[in-house]
Amino acid sequence: MQASTSLAEKSLPAAVPATSRRRRAAGAGGTAGLKRAHYRNSRLPLLLLLPQLLILLLFFFIPAVRALVQAFVITDPFGNSVQFVWFDNFRALLASPEYRDSIWVTVWFTLTQNVLTIGVAGLLAFATDRVIRGRGLYRSVVLLPYAIAPVIAGILWAFLFNAHVGPLAYVLKALGIAWDPSLSGFDAFMLVTVAAAWKHICYDYIFLVAALLAVPPSLLEAAAVDGAGPGLRFYKIALPMIGPTVFFLVVMNFVYGFFETFAIVDAVTRGGPGGATMILVYKVYQDGFVHIDLGSSAAQSVLLMIFAVALTLLQFRYVERNVNYDV
Amino acid sequence: MERTRRTLFGGLLALGLMTGLAAPSVAQQRTEIQFWHAMGGVLGERVDEIVSRYNASQAKYTVVATNKGNYDEVINGTIAAYRAKKAPHLVQIYERGFMTMLLSDAIVPVQDLLTEKKKQIDWADFIKPVASYYQYKGKLMTMPFNSSAPILWYNKEHFEKAGYSAPAETWQELEKQLYAIKSKGIADCGSSLAGDFFWSLIENYSTVNDQPFGTRANGYDGLDTVFVYNKTKVVQQVTRLKKWIDDGIMQIAGQGLSPEQLYTSGKCSTFFASTAAHGSVERNAKIKWSATYLPWEEGTTPRNSSIGGATIWALKGQKAEDYDGVADFLAFVASPDLQVWWSKVTGYVPITNKAYQVAKAEGYYKENPTREIAILQLNRGTPTANSQGFHFGNYTQSTFALRQEMEAVWAGKKKPQEALDDAVRRGNEILRQFEKIYAGKY
Repeated sequence: MQASTSLAEKSLPAAVPATSRRRRAAGAGGTAGLKRAHYRNSRLPLLLLLPQLLILLLFFFIPAVRALVQAFVITDPFGNSVQFVWFDNFRALLASPEYRDSIWVTVWFTLTQNVLTIGVAGLLAFATDRVIRGRGLYRSVVLLPYAIAPVIAGILWAFLFNAHVGPLAYVLKALGIAWDPSLSGFDAFMLVTVAAAWKHICYDYIFLVAALLAVPPSLLEAAAVDGAGPGLRFYKIALPMIGPTVFFLVVMNFVYGFFETFAIVDAVTRGGPGGATMILVYKVYQDGFVHIDLGSSAAQSVLLMIFAVALTLLQFRYVERNVNYDV
Repeated sequence: MERTRRTLFGGLLALGLMTGLAAPSVAQQRTEIQFWHAMGGVLGERVDEIVSRYNASQAKYTVVATNKGNYDEVINGTIAAYRAKKAPHLVQIYERGFMTMLLSDAIVPVQDLLTEKKKQIDWADFIKPVASYYQYKGKLMTMPFNSSAPILWYNKEHFEKAGYSAPAETWQELEKQLYAIKSKGIADCGSSLAGDFFWSLIENYSTVNDQPFGTRANGYDGLDTVFVYNKTKVVQQVTRLKKWIDDGIMQIAGQGLSPEQLYTSGKCSTFFASTAAHGSVERNAKIKWSATYLPWEEGTTPRNSSIGGATIWALKGQKAEDYDGVADFLAFVASPDLQVWWSKVTGYVPITNKAYQVAKAEGYYKENPTREIAILQLNRGTPTANSQGFHFGNYTQSTFALRQEMEAVWAGKKKPQEALDDAVRRGNEILRQFEKIYAGKY
């Protein structure tokens, strides 16, 4: 879909906010000038936006503001005494080795998960074209994990790879790999990462298949005639053409890794052993909901938000430069 | 998402219950008492049974019991409800939440309430470690409900095959036995590490061996307490456990498998876990199981172990006349008959000596000797400052830090001393924060 963006896209100044650009990229059709002509002095657009804005207000802006306020106070859980402590919550966090560990775990987790998800989804999507018989079945099988609730997926993975009873753990051991996610931080980390990637591959897959469909077959055929193999055709022709989609997916994967992997971590490792899989969002949950340390938890969610926004902006600033919307 | 669905379901269920009960309550002017608890599955059914017994026993009040999820979810739900001024009358909170509840300004001390309402309760009759855990300035603050103590579960056959009649009394001797069982090929695994090992193998190790866990009498004498378990015999205990794990004597079930299954399936010879496991062990074990006291260190006189479990708190802010019903129901819960029944069907210990005597007189412990171990262990000796319990603020959080550091030891990331130092450092930060929030309140 991003691949079909109009030429006008390229001439947009870099300073245009990411969201508005994305909206245009989604193919709103027509230019800004046209919209103005149609809707001048009309309240209709505002009215149409209202339900969405209301939802955002209730479920995003109000909680976000409350989290921001909460981050600067310490309070007892029941809220009977509230002390304003300026930046103490943040200071305590940044001084804590556990929090710094958690940041690194999150960085490695989101990066690995991202590479894995895009890589495998890309491979599967590219292979879709080469599956002649049972393509429908193939697609459905690839899409299945998306239909499984994260908690269920997590429990399945935890069981399959349980060092005592997991069938896949037996396979690993038979292959001579010492495997125990409850004793090895690395094993636990890999398990959570692969489980999270597995859950999200189908999402990337749908987008990539759609993007690949938009690649003109004539180009690929011409390359094939010129003697380029499947790998070369993918790398030289398909990949540049699906660049915008890949970029979009990278951003989405980071968002997924940052915020939505909570249930998988909870079911597979609970952040253990010894914090090896304690990603930031899970720590927010632990400190806020299990330990009712609201100030610290709020400060953590504010920091997490800042990380996520900063990362996304960085991506738009540096990665998007190399993305060509013009093909 | 899962959470919302469960709450939604629970909410619908509660709604159904309330509407179902609404008709008679109008006719007879019954007052409704809301009771939130954390007992799921079979235990939840038992709680429902208590409530329906109570409702049938009198005509003035209808207690509505609602399962609000696990312990964490119940305390969180209560806090959210309290802030929204929709708190229930009664709520079951785990022992680790004691200080948070005590200093919350949101509770009515039960001993005061029941005394005011002229309920006949023998306050001196509660089992000592139960009473001491939940007392503040000599009065019970909350009604003990489900209390348990960790005991040593073992596989009779494994020990007999290795030539032992039973597990040894001390850690040193037990260690030799477990190594012998493994080296003789009787069992691959000497012990399965329970999920709450910090309770059964570290906290209770400290109380049984009379080791301080924190200063100021484990927090009883003030909020300025600091953890000291990195300077006690706990170091030796953690070193031993680490050695066991490295040698495959102790095994960790891991996510996706319950540690109890490793024991009940006959894979592991022992299991240090709550006496409340009686219900499931009796049902699931395919082995000849038995149980005995927790071991102690060579050359020490063993003290009482500490309790775990939860209590029922009465919350402030309800209509004044409702508290007659609250007190009435709490007195019903503490009555010996109910306690005996509750203890039998769940495996929790009876919380009063009277209830214990009733069960004993019936010959219950002759038939079920392992059921008596926990209560004998709790009643062993006079509790000292080290064994009366733990009054540490925000204790779930520092327990979590301890557990995390222990996992780092098992995984070989830290040495026992280093990890315990870190756990104490993290725990003390949590205590200082708690002291700051509640300054002058304790």
